[in-house]
Amino acid sequence: MDLNFLPRFPPSLGDVSIIALILLAGLGTGELFRRVLLLPRISGYVLAGVLLGPGTFGVLDRPMLEGAQLLLDIALGLILFELGSRLDWQWFRRNRWLLASSVAEIALSFTLVCVVLTLLHVPWLHAAIAAAIGVATGAPVLLVVIHDQRADGPLTDRAVNLTALNNVFSVVAVTMLLAFLHLEYRPGVTILLLQPLYLLLGSTLLGYLASLILVLLARWLGKREDLQFILLVAMVLLTVGIAKALQLSMLISLLALGVMASNRDRGRDLLPVEFGATAQVLFVVLFVITGAAVTLGDLATGAGIALAYVFARFAGKLLGVALFSRRSGLPARKAGLLGLMLMPMSATAVAMVQATSRYYPQFGERLGAVVLGAVLILELAAPLATQLALRAAGETHPDARWR
Amino acid sequence: MTSLPFKNSEPYTLGVELELQVLNSRDYNLTGAAVDLLALLDKAPHPGDIKPEITEAMIEISTNVQHGYAGLLAELTGIRDAMVREAERLNLGIAGGGAHPFQKWQDQRIFAEARYRHIHDLYGYLAKQFTVFGQHVHIGCVSGDAAVRLIHRFSRYIPHFIALSASSPFFQGVDTAFASSRLNSVSAFPLAGHIPFLPDWGAFTDYFQHMRRLQVVESMKDFYWDIRPKPEYGTIEVRVCDTPLTLERAAALAEYARALARYLSEDNPLEPSADVYLVYGYNRFLACRFGLEAEVIDPYERRKRLLSEEIGYTLGLVARCASDEAGSAALSRLRDVASTRRGDSVLLREQLTQTKSLSDVVRWAAGLWMHGEAGDHRG
Repeated sequence: MDLNFLPRFPPSLGDVSIIALILLAGLGTGELFRRVLLLPRISGYVLAGVLLGPGTFGVLDRPMLEGAQLLLDIALGLILFELGSRLDWQWFRRNRWLLASSVAEIALSFTLVCVVLTLLHVPWLHAAIAAAIGVATGAPVLLVVIHDQRADGPLTDRAVNLTALNNVFSVVAVTMLLAFLHLEYRPGVTILLLQPLYLLLGSTLLGYLASLILVLLARWLGKREDLQFILLVAMVLLTVGIAKALQLSMLISLLALGVMASNRDRGRDLLPVEFGATAQVLFVVLFVITGAAVTLGDLATGAGIALAYVFARFAGKLLGVALFSRRSGLPARKAGLLGLMLMPMSATAVAMVQATSRYYPQFGERLGAVVLGAVLILELAAPLATQLALRAAGETHPDARWR
Repeated sequence: MTSLPFKNSEPYTLGVELELQVLNSRDYNLTGAAVDLLALLDKAPHPGDIKPEITEAMIEISTNVQHGYAGLLAELTGIRDAMVREAERLNLGIAGGGAHPFQKWQDQRIFAEARYRHIHDLYGYLAKQFTVFGQHVHIGCVSGDAAVRLIHRFSRYIPHFIALSASSPFFQGVDTAFASSRLNSVSAFPLAGHIPFLPDWGAFTDYFQHMRRLQVVESMKDFYWDIRPKPEYGTIEVRVCDTPLTLERAAALAEYARALARYLSEDNPLEPSADVYLVYGYNRFLACRFGLEAEVIDPYERRKRLLSEEIGYTLGLVARCASDEAGSAALSRLRDVASTRRGDSVLLREQLTQTKSLSDVVRWAAGLWMHGEAGDHRG
């Protein structure tokens, strides 16, 4: 009897079902975290990813994760765009001490992590790149917690602005340090300068061009929230696609898009980004997949290093913002809260490790061993820290629930 | 029974309180940052007094006792400048206007202070709805009797102050069709309205004590009247004005109130009349709804009059009571506002027509308040 209308066994699940699985697992674990552990849902999403990922139970393998890449790109793209658009140059111009605290926070977290890792016998280039990756505050965690708690206020704004700057620094520094690595493999000084330059200028130019189109089309569409969201997703994807095709930095391009779109938008044609329920779907995917990139094994092999990394990084950020807090108009208590809010590490750090691995597999593996353990710790702990800090600062919405 | 002593103060001295909007500089929505701003202002030298208000996106400034327009404007400017300096460090905007055009009342956080918590517990959502921004003008009176008589005479002119200050056409994201929507939020409170028609301070004290025995009120603060006596300051407090879009307009309104008080007290043009309170509520509504376009009822002449003409006429009458030269210039600018009928609510609606965005309207208003980017808008 011909039964070829029946599927082969075992049936292979397509991308569509994989995404459903990711969403259901994230939803379930997230709710469990919220209801049972009284922890933010984000940590649950990440844990779902860790458990399902190739490193642990292997329900999700790499090809499956790549199938979800599109959603990941939109999610990360929207977040980086928003981060860029919330960067307010005018504020740094009016309050120079704010710029000073940004520089201090970047410099101290970089230096402290570098020093601590070197003391733990991590080779200097590994240490430096790991530190440079750690300078960036995880924008996905920070912004999603802010949206979740509907937080609004000077401390929230400050955290977002410092995060935008430390992310830019992080990408540039990592790129330059990678050029050093390149030099170790294939000597040639031109490459040391040319690659970072290409990355920086090319990505900024891409972001600039995309921002021109975005603002132009937004003006044409008019102030319609729904239509502008569609436009935004389109422009974010276009930027991501071109950045990938031209081997530019997705992060810098999207940040540039956000910064320039909001700064060039003199007529205020662009509406502020509102993350509705649709975007929430994307964020669950983002956090689950970020979790899947990390394994519990990463932590087991380098728990000591990971903890040292987390503490050195936190100390650097805390010290950095505390140093000029009074002069930049921030009471000491709030400087402490700001330090907590800068703690998250997330998808962008993972992406940087992965990008390094792609070019330099061996180096990337060793780098991952240092960084990914810290990412895991912070993915699980930082949402709580950020949420606590926002609550303590009194900047959450009166109706926003703790859980 | 405790008496209610009225501090006798120098007549026609004045003081101003202004409730202001604290804004983020992203979309110019209200932001609950008054605590942070106040913390910085505590350490920065500034004239006057700066205080929190019922919700965290409100901040109240008040002047010392002033003798005339010039001093008042100078002090207000000093307070404003200090505020702007600190607000810019925190990336905040400050704006006038009787209501924020698009804030949602449920987004507001009650300021953490026992009195405000109590008001929130008692009045529920009305407390958060009360995130509106008014100007209060204090005018010194020699005695309680003088204060009560002045209030009754002044009540007839309340529509003037509503219409000249009206700057809350938008509320909760919609055009209300009112020039001042703010007073509707005030009217929701059970003890809003006006003082009863009583002849003198003795009668008023009896009334107050009676209300206290009935446990309707605990102190004078519980009356949300449009004009109320403030015995501990020795003033009457005119509370119907929206906070105007500019400092200069606020000072000019105070000067008008002061000059009018002097004219009413010294020239005795009108005897207090209960009829004033018969038309009071309706006139108040007309002024709120139509602003300077309103036609109000004159309780003495018992006919309708164009409010803008009546204001122009009255400003002419009180011109000689101006406190100084700058004050009389300010009064004549108010006359222009009345005759052109281009009050703040009109300007706000024009801005919306131009920009099609309430965020942009607020951004423009913040520019006016903080830097006096005046354009065609002057005190």
